[in-house]
Amino acid sequence: MLGISDPDGPGVALPEDRRKLVTRLVVVQYLLVTGFVALALAFWYFQVVQHEKFREMAENNHQRTLGLRAPRGVLFDRDGKILVENRDSFVISLVREHSRDVDRTIRLLSRVLGVDEAAVRDTIRKHSGEPIYRPIPILEDATLAQVAAVVAHRLDTELPEVIVERVPTRRYPADAMAAHLFGYVSEVNEVQLAREGFHAGDVVGQAGFEKVYNKLLMGVDGARRVVVNSLGREIRTIEEVPPSEGRRVQLTIDSDVQRAAEDGFRAMSYAGAAVVLDPNTGEILSYLSLPAYDPNAFAAGIDRATWASLNADALKPLQDRAIQGRYSPGSTFKMAVAAAALEEGIITPDFTVNCHGSQDFYGRVFQCWKKGGHGPVDLRRAIEQSCDVYFYTLGKMVGVDAINKWATRLGLGVKSGIDLPNEVTGLVPSTQWKLAKLGERWYPGETISVAIGQGQVAVTPVSMAVYMAALANGGKRVTPHLLRALDDGNGWKAVPTPSDQGHSGIKPETMAAIHDGLWLVVNGGGTGGSARLQGHDVSGKTGTAQVISLEGARALKGRTDLDLRDNGWFVFFAPRDNPQIAGVVFTEHGEHGTNAALIARHVMDTFFAKKEGRPLPVFNPPARPAPKPAVALTGGQSIGDRE
Amino acid sequence: MFERRLFHHIDWLTIIVLGALCVMGVTMIYSTTHDGPNSTLYVKQIYAIAIGVLAFVACLVIDYRVLAEYSLVFYVLVVALLVGVLLFGTSGGGARRWIPLPFFALQPSEFAKICVALTLAKLFEESRRGSPSATDLGVGAAITLVPFLLIAKEPDLGTAITLLTILLGIAFLAGMRMRLLGIVLIVAIVAAPVAWRYALKDYQKNRLSTFLDPELDPRGAGYQQIQARISVGSGGAWGQGFLKGTQGQLRFLPVAWNDFVFSVYAEEQGLVGVIVALGLYLFVIVRALETARLARDRLGAYLVLGLLSAFTFQVMYNITMSAGLVPVKGLTLPLMSSGGSSMIATLAGFGLIVNVRMRRFTN
Repeated sequence: MLGISDPDGPGVALPEDRRKLVTRLVVVQYLLVTGFVALALAFWYFQVVQHEKFREMAENNHQRTLGLRAPRGVLFDRDGKILVENRDSFVISLVREHSRDVDRTIRLLSRVLGVDEAAVRDTIRKHSGEPIYRPIPILEDATLAQVAAVVAHRLDTELPEVIVERVPTRRYPADAMAAHLFGYVSEVNEVQLAREGFHAGDVVGQAGFEKVYNKLLMGVDGARRVVVNSLGREIRTIEEVPPSEGRRVQLTIDSDVQRAAEDGFRAMSYAGAAVVLDPNTGEILSYLSLPAYDPNAFAAGIDRATWASLNADALKPLQDRAIQGRYSPGSTFKMAVAAAALEEGIITPDFTVNCHGSQDFYGRVFQCWKKGGHGPVDLRRAIEQSCDVYFYTLGKMVGVDAINKWATRLGLGVKSGIDLPNEVTGLVPSTQWKLAKLGERWYPGETISVAIGQGQVAVTPVSMAVYMAALANGGKRVTPHLLRALDDGNGWKAVPTPSDQGHSGIKPETMAAIHDGLWLVVNGGGTGGSARLQGHDVSGKTGTAQVISLEGARALKGRTDLDLRDNGWFVFFAPRDNPQIAGVVFTEHGEHGTNAALIARHVMDTFFAKKEGRPLPVFNPPARPAPKPAVALTGGQSIGDRE
Repeated sequence: MFERRLFHHIDWLTIIVLGALCVMGVTMIYSTTHDGPNSTLYVKQIYAIAIGVLAFVACLVIDYRVLAEYSLVFYVLVVALLVGVLLFGTSGGGARRWIPLPFFALQPSEFAKICVALTLAKLFEESRRGSPSATDLGVGAAITLVPFLLIAKEPDLGTAITLLTILLGIAFLAGMRMRLLGIVLIVAIVAAPVAWRYALKDYQKNRLSTFLDPELDPRGAGYQQIQARISVGSGGAWGQGFLKGTQGQLRFLPVAWNDFVFSVYAEEQGLVGVIVALGLYLFVIVRALETARLARDRLGAYLVLGLLSAFTFQVMYNITMSAGLVPVKGLTLPLMSSGGSSMIATLAGFGLIVNVRMRRFTN
């Protein structure tokens, strides 16, 4: 029997002090029983009433959901060769939740990794708004040595808040091949987060193909729920939702043709751009812009120094010249002028002009590139010889608005609609344009230089490719595109060819005359002989365009480091009948189109060699003459090209 | 000295319940340490229980009145040991509490409780009046204060305060006037800010202020309090099961085998287990109160209540702390927390209590 009762039963008197003692013991007992009941109630309150809340808190304590980054879709070329794939990289991250002294951790981590402490602080500040259990990536694509250094410290529990994760990272071709075409990926920025419904930490396409087809390529990240202990160490995995890889995508690119163009440019050390396509469909076979950057540097988180130097580089490696560069087309524009004159019924192909080497238009002497003149030339010969006087004459006869109309119908001065971001529009001037833009009347004298692709005319290389495709296929303005097929999980499905941008409406006779001229350029006595390929009837046109007017050049002579040498063009298609390949090679400061034609020849040779099962050719660069001085000033009042 | 008939008066119920609590303690120590660096701690605890049983028997067989005759000797001895701690003791966790011996480290403050209880019981027994005189109270206070100061100096404020409860308990039972008790309370309240300003160490102030607002220091002292309550609450009615509590197993609770053993127990065994444990503790406490009432003489009653005051105070404070309801103090849970000296001293104390009950009929 528990409790305190009188042992001797009621009625028996106790000594006074004994009774007092018993009373006080009873008081103590009641107090203690009350205390224990209160404790039991407190435990009942926490363990039953508030159980759910504490269960959740305990779960948050020991469970973490870690994102598993989905590999992006692999890119294949048209033959199924891998262009861009994924590799595993190590990311070293900091979990602030497990850090007792973030400052100390930053100092120690920067020392262990050998990275700039200020940059680490900056990174952490940038993520300061996120939940403290979310890892902040400090170093992407850590080297094995760095990983080893961190793991060694972590095991000593010096850096329990640092985690090393293995994540899939983009692997682009090592030599920056087709860098601008692929673009690059990097962690989503704040603007994209707010606008496009990404999640913090997502890696998204920021340029090129990666950006345009980001939704296809991204895949769905997985997640892993793990149990961690109080140090943040993982104990075991509770469940795992594996990431699903992004769509596998086939590009229209032919990596051999792409390689051929790259080889040509690199062998001759040119900056510039090339766009080569199937003139019947617009499928792009080769696409490059040089100088390029290494997209791999972005994939693993670009450091500030690299980014700054890319931005500061005078050669603008971040600019995609193929769709963002605007250049004077020079003589390659002459086919548009010829088409305008023929289609407007102003001349026939037999219309002949006698070239004396220069001619007066509206009171000003315009030079032909050939000092002695070409003598009498018809349209075909004028294209073959690139006779400036002939086209000055046509320009005067048809006027700037007709040139604008037909050049536009052939794809110049408008966007090509290529599936790459930030394409710019070229310019083919018109009277209306000048009035709207400058508020001035068009002077007929301005048309003369427009007729040979100088003056205000400015085109993008990609639009030149469309223009050549239209000339090759009989006038259809194809949409250049890169996406060929998709693997939707059930095998490859071809992507329908994007619809054409319309037909120029140019008559076959007009086309035939222009084709004759273009064939002669390469196979006759023209300037494109270096592009000749036995048995393939290459047709093409060289162009040389001044970077600056000769007056301007003279004024700047010796006072600038800018490279003022002319740009070189070669536009082409082959074979002449039923063309299979067309395109443009643009060499910045290539001085004349002959070298561009050499590169184009190598591209076409590679293309046909593959078709015919021949071994692929190797590019043999010509022995280059010593570089000329920045500007060679020879002519008098001449503007225009020199071919 | 030990008569055969005394054997029949041994309080086996108390012994069984004490044994049950010790087994629960060993189980929880195993649960909280089995996969860590202290994985053999439960074995040490079993050794401590074995030695504790010897101490229990030793305190049982000798008549407590004989022991009380020598109380001053024990008292002087333990005070000497406490001085020794301050001079030669080993530290752990910022405090100097142990005297290193060949096989284990002795914590004299645990034994100070028994000696103080014995000495005070003896003192107040000799006071023949209905309520203790001012002189008795003064001497009693002095007897308590010497070890109190020595232990507070280690510093181990929790154990030091436990000594005060012994004084309070015995004085109360000896008939100390309630008015005096009221005055003591008022003085304590007035002295608190002064103590805050001058007597408390920084870490003690920290613990108090983070108790009032745990979020002040969620990774430090407040952390333990938050984690303790999470452990208890997540246990629910039925508990997570042995070795399945995440809070204890994954080390979210610091020193779970010691100060927070009851939090882990509550997590793994749930409210049902908590009520069982509370019931067992309450059983031995009420049983001891009965012993005090049945005691043959006032010495026995005082001794029992003195020992019980210290035991009960620690049990209640620790369990309340394990639910995060009072500031974190280094007060262990007698019989369950790991700790050799505490186990031996506690069992020795119960040896004395059973001693008093056993000899209730002798003259």
